[in-house]
Amino acid sequence: MNVDQLFQLLGTVTVVVPVLLFTTIGLPMLGGTPWGEKMTARWTQVAVLTGLGACLGVLSLMLMYQRYDVPIEFGHWFALPREHTHFHLSFVFDRLSVPFAILTYVLVGVIGAFASRYLHREPGYHRFFLLHSMFLMGMVLATVAGTIETLFLGWELIGLSSALLVAFFHERTAPVINGQRIWSVYRVADAAFLVGALLMHHWKGQGDFEVLVDHIAWPVGHAIITPNQALVAGLLFLIAAAGKSALIPFSGWLPRAMEGPTPSSAIFYGALSVHLGTFLLLRISPLLDLSFLLSACVFLLGAATAIFAGMTARVQTDVKSAIAYASLTQVGLITAEIGLGFRYLALAHIIGHACLRTLQLVRAPNLLNDYHTLENAIGARLPRRPGLIERSISPQMQLNLYRFALERGYLDAGIRNWLVRPFLGFFKWCDSMEAKWTRLLSMSPHTHSESTPHSEWEEVK
Amino acid sequence: MAWLKASPLQERASLFPGPETGLTRSPFDSNGLPPQPSNANGLAPLSNDIAIRLTCNSTGIMAQLNRSTSTRQQELPQDIAAVNHIAISPHTEGSADSTPHAASIQAAIEHAAHLLPSQGPIRIFIHHNTLHAFEDEPFEDAVVHARDVYGCNPYIPENEYRKKYASGRIRLDDITSVLKEDLGERADESIAGVCTRLELRAGMLQYPLRTGTDPELRWLIAETDALSRFSTDAPTEIKEKMIEETRHWVMRDFAPRSEHSGQRSASRHGLSEGLVAIIHQLGGGKIESWSETKWESLTLHLLWQCCRSGVHGIERFQPRETTSLRLREPLRQASGIDIDQLLNDNLIPFCAAFLDQGISHWPLPNRNQGFFRAYIELYRNSPPIDPWRAELPSILDRINESGETPLQVIEASLRELGVPESQWDAYLTETLLCLRGWAGMLWQMETNAEWTVAPAPPGTLLEYAAIRLLLERIAIQWVLREVLKDDGDLKTARKRVLHHLRHDPKVSVEQRSFTVFQLAQFLGFTPELLAGLSKDQWTELVREIEAFSDLERRRIFQQAFERRYRNQTLDAIITHNREPAPPLPPPRIQISCCLDDREESFRRHLEEIAPDCETFGVAGFYGVAMYYRGAADAHFVPLCPVVIKPQHYVREEVVYPLETSSRIRQETRKALGRTRHWLHTGSRSILGGAMTALLGTVASLPLVMRVLFPRLTSRTHRLFTSLIRPPMMTRLHLERREPAPGKENGHLGFTLDEMVTIGRRVLEDIGLTRNFAPLVILIGHGSSTQNNPHESAYDCGACGGNRGGPNSRALASILNDPRVRHRLAENGLTIPWETVFVGAYHNTCDDSVTYADLHQLPFSHREHFEYAREIIDEARRRNAHERCRRFVSAPLSITEEAALRHVEARSEDISQVRPELGHATNAVGIVGRRSRTRNLFMDRRAFLTSYDPTQDTPEGDILERILSAAVPVCAGINLEYYFSFVDSAGYGCGSKLPHNITSLLGVMDGAASDLRPGLPWQMVEIHEPLRVLFVVETTPEMLTKILNRNAVLRRLIENRWVQMSVLDPDSPEIQVYQGGAFHPYQPESSEIPEVARSQDWYRGWRDHLGYARITPKETVPTQAQAMESAGVS
Repeated sequence: MNVDQLFQLLGTVTVVVPVLLFTTIGLPMLGGTPWGEKMTARWTQVAVLTGLGACLGVLSLMLMYQRYDVPIEFGHWFALPREHTHFHLSFVFDRLSVPFAILTYVLVGVIGAFASRYLHREPGYHRFFLLHSMFLMGMVLATVAGTIETLFLGWELIGLSSALLVAFFHERTAPVINGQRIWSVYRVADAAFLVGALLMHHWKGQGDFEVLVDHIAWPVGHAIITPNQALVAGLLFLIAAAGKSALIPFSGWLPRAMEGPTPSSAIFYGALSVHLGTFLLLRISPLLDLSFLLSACVFLLGAATAIFAGMTARVQTDVKSAIAYASLTQVGLITAEIGLGFRYLALAHIIGHACLRTLQLVRAPNLLNDYHTLENAIGARLPRRPGLIERSISPQMQLNLYRFALERGYLDAGIRNWLVRPFLGFFKWCDSMEAKWTRLLSMSPHTHSESTPHSEWEEVK
Repeated sequence: MAWLKASPLQERASLFPGPETGLTRSPFDSNGLPPQPSNANGLAPLSNDIAIRLTCNSTGIMAQLNRSTSTRQQELPQDIAAVNHIAISPHTEGSADSTPHAASIQAAIEHAAHLLPSQGPIRIFIHHNTLHAFEDEPFEDAVVHARDVYGCNPYIPENEYRKKYASGRIRLDDITSVLKEDLGERADESIAGVCTRLELRAGMLQYPLRTGTDPELRWLIAETDALSRFSTDAPTEIKEKMIEETRHWVMRDFAPRSEHSGQRSASRHGLSEGLVAIIHQLGGGKIESWSETKWESLTLHLLWQCCRSGVHGIERFQPRETTSLRLREPLRQASGIDIDQLLNDNLIPFCAAFLDQGISHWPLPNRNQGFFRAYIELYRNSPPIDPWRAELPSILDRINESGETPLQVIEASLRELGVPESQWDAYLTETLLCLRGWAGMLWQMETNAEWTVAPAPPGTLLEYAAIRLLLERIAIQWVLREVLKDDGDLKTARKRVLHHLRHDPKVSVEQRSFTVFQLAQFLGFTPELLAGLSKDQWTELVREIEAFSDLERRRIFQQAFERRYRNQTLDAIITHNREPAPPLPPPRIQISCCLDDREESFRRHLEEIAPDCETFGVAGFYGVAMYYRGAADAHFVPLCPVVIKPQHYVREEVVYPLETSSRIRQETRKALGRTRHWLHTGSRSILGGAMTALLGTVASLPLVMRVLFPRLTSRTHRLFTSLIRPPMMTRLHLERREPAPGKENGHLGFTLDEMVTIGRRVLEDIGLTRNFAPLVILIGHGSSTQNNPHESAYDCGACGGNRGGPNSRALASILNDPRVRHRLAENGLTIPWETVFVGAYHNTCDDSVTYADLHQLPFSHREHFEYAREIIDEARRRNAHERCRRFVSAPLSITEEAALRHVEARSEDISQVRPELGHATNAVGIVGRRSRTRNLFMDRRAFLTSYDPTQDTPEGDILERILSAAVPVCAGINLEYYFSFVDSAGYGCGSKLPHNITSLLGVMDGAASDLRPGLPWQMVEIHEPLRVLFVVETTPEMLTKILNRNAVLRRLIENRWVQMSVLDPDSPEIQVYQGGAFHPYQPESSEIPEVARSQDWYRGWRDHLGYARITPKETVPTQAQAMESAGVS
């Protein structure tokens, strides 16, 4: 077996194992006879270890043979030669995807082991592990994706599993509402992503990153589209990244995501999922090099998010929200780093940050104990002083800043007021116009589209 | 667990009849049937009063509530009453004069405060009766009353009882005797001439009655075999009898005539046309030669027809009237907007910020000015982004300028909302109950938390109510104006909104007839019998059926369930005591444990292993009520039951020669602590976070290690920290010189007199005043767990949710003190000089036992101690093994060694949500000599308190002081488990998995929910909701005397919050307290399984176990005994 074949084999294993895991757990559930708790955990363990082994194998081969850009092809699925468009499934192992894939496997594996005990005897145990494997599948597909469509596939799987895990305790209302909230933010991000991907297809006839970066291994390489094209596509991808990574103005969903069980919160919103937006930015980083304006936008958005989240984190009074905003602060910084062009720094930052937050979130219920231990070690109450900024501004500014932070920047209210309401209003208007038209055309007085409680009320009146 | 998640809604239907509740109502409620006027059954006079009020007006509940709280205050023990007074704070009192209604509003807030959860900061978890506020009502009324207030389940769902019935945990004779007792003379009254009331009710309990929506039932009748086959639950003999009689009836009264077109008798019942149709439908032909199945089908068809025509036209009985005074629900139905949601989104973060004890780095500005001022200052200038709050800043500004007080704001809001003055009380109560977790915590922090970092100033709850009402007013106004386009007056809005809402559905004929239809099959009401009933009789029958509602059935089931377990327990104790216990060797080791139910198995194993080991049970603070500060602790913590306020301070100090090294270690700890704290806070900031995150990859190591190898990690960690822990050689600063106790040097500790009193009292309590063994080991207990906000709930309840090691150590030191012994001997309590006391600490989670002050052990006692340690180590292994049978993740085939490793790993695993099972399954409390229950397997379900009736005074002083501590403590634990189990979402705090620590005070679900007091589901999962049954070794006369003296005990026992019985000190006879007097108990069975050792009984079984008697046939010597006997010979 030569090196290429070995690469091919290991790469295939990396990608296929999560898919196998998902079907192994999912199919018996579909048939109504899920595996036992132990077997489910065992399958997850085996899959993660295999995938991790393969990943590490790829890494060592890459280091040994100094090859930093290894594509794995799964063939062309369709091609429309006249339209110069084709779709093919391919994966790429490079300096960006391999560390990310390894990180994914390690964290998903650890959380799997954690959850197998944490969720013991929980009625949703199997559902959790199914979504967990779906998440793993999505993460791996997205990280090693060689085309924008494959990345989108993984991206969607992650979104779906996230939303469902937030709504894990679906017998209560709050998780369901919050799950839906996240889902709708993700849809906005997805829409932007999809339009961006379409544009790239439109311009280049394919969505392969190879073309984008002109066959040079990440992070160098330059995009072969015009700067203006790069700006447009890049801005769309930035919106997508902002939605996925909870950057301004979408930050409101991050604390809401803490409704799920602790382990899923840890891996999604502390570690992997929240970094996916930044990963996308890293992946399309050649676009950033093309357009200074785009880089500036990325930097500004990142910096603004970091400052906003840093401030908000200071006033959070529950441990999970505090960690969520702390996490967001760093995601903002990472985004800013990407905007400034520090690719490796951003990558290292992501990996370190993901590990740290996972540990912190997983240990979040230990907070009382930790504080107690710290108090005992220090021998007094824990010092709690207002920060430099708080001390150096006027009392009225302090109040304003505090309120801004406590209300989480009014982002949710703002979105609701200035985006969702006009949007809904417009469609309601369309709806009423449609109803009028239908009435006019059919000459019948009672043609209503779906009636809301509101309109019922009006009718009664 | 599925039912538990669904159940809260089921019960909540009662409080908020809303659209979603229709889906989940319990079977009988969905008939639109009134639940039995639940308060009216067999109650004390006070409650009959309630029932009347309930039916009279909708505000009855609240009115009664307030009344009962006010009467309660007079009866409360001093300390609690004292707390109540704090509410009238100087802060608000000044302003009280400014409005004429101030006093009544303030009183209303206080009343409401009693209904709020009384759990304080979770760091110190104190078990208490969840329904403490209702304790002066009888249990059965209180749970229903509480259901109306909180919307929580009073009992477990009916189908859970049915499962217990099916598995024999409830028997038919339990049901019938409970019913007989409940109905009294009404039991044998005939119902519509078809059966007696007792038969009807027993039948309804015995067989499951199913129901559904009208379309469901119509489908069931049309499409299934409901009309062709008897229900599978119907007894065969009844089925056969019914078919036979119907055949007879049809042949006699209808068949011949219908063939000859003479239909007189048939038309009397209006059956004939139907009958002909049915006969045709079933295939017609010669009905004499019909098969059995056809007759079965005909019977059922007739039955169904009878039922339908019978129940037709019967009106609805007593419509339920528990409408909320608030506009929230009507508005929600009208507009789709939940105003509480709007309010909570604002109030939850604010309350959390106001109460925060140190999670946020930036404290709320103006916090020290109180809730009201802080809120006003914060939101006075806020730009209105949320449309509903657009008016808030200007309103707050106005309040700020006019200087209105919170009381005035409340009054203004109530007036503007159009609440009549007579309903203010009730309205305020409802308002505070909206977010009852937070409101309760505000109240606790205001009244009961002077020891926390940041207690709330007095008047906080009132100020919260002011803000909440203000917001409510704004929100309602907004919904009316902006969403419902209603510009009318707010005061009359209620009428306008209610006017448009749908009304309760009419009673359903389908559901009523289907119920009777099923009952008829179970109880053998033939179609002939039913067809002959008049309309009045039908009304009587339906009324009777509906009177025995879901709630009533569950009440009876609960009592039957308790009766079964009570009888099993009493039978076992009587049988066990009938045969004289085998003679025991004089004790070589005496071991005293906490009265905790978790120590039952530990003690049993100790005695099983070593017949010369005697054990005692005592409240785990060992009479040493103190504020304690360990050598490595920052603060003093109270180590005693909550009802006691300690006066004394004790510190652990490193022995003199090691002080230097201790100081170095302390400095190291401090430096490390500061670094860790810096890392902790830094990781949340921008730059510090960036630095820590860049190095964060290092964090993957502890992460992976902690999750994958918990035991190894914690060992490594311990090894490391042992370098910086204070040196092992410490001693307690126990003795005081100065007259006044205090925290400072010289004022620490107890005087000699106090020590003598403590020592004497404990020894007298447990009856250890003679026959001292050479070595007495006193064991306190606690529990160490990881990642567990409820950690303190596993610790010793008698130490106020702390670890009781220092208490046992202190008592051992006291009793070893020659001066104390000398003084005791002067008073007639002689401890022989050969006897040595050793303090120890049992970790109930990992089953480790550590000993204190062993360096002071005399050389002469080394051998005894080693012997004791061998026994204890063996008992630890066996105890861990017995505990493992309850952990599904430990295989049943586990060995004792592996079991010990398993429980050790559990306590150190950060992913373990059930590190131990706490007090789950507790059900019995035994107060008496251990000899009465020694070698009885009680499945870790019994609180065991030692008491020797032969040594008590004639007045029962010792017993009284034991009971007045043990009964409330055990009842608190027992009832907290009861309520957290019967309604995990309402009374408990639900699943642990999404818990989120807030403000260092409690847990929320997710990022913003109400604060969740109570126990998590994972803690109570295997619990059985039974009221604790006390068996006290004394005479009925003595106990009656004590009850007459002690109001607290009397209230708990008379109102049936605990069950009480007495075991005669001289004979195996038991009398049970029922209806105000003791009645002799007639044993039901005199058989008890006998096994050689506990393991033979519990092996291979995960579920609850009955009692067994352990009779070591041939004592298999343990390693310890083998060595010992070898050594002796």
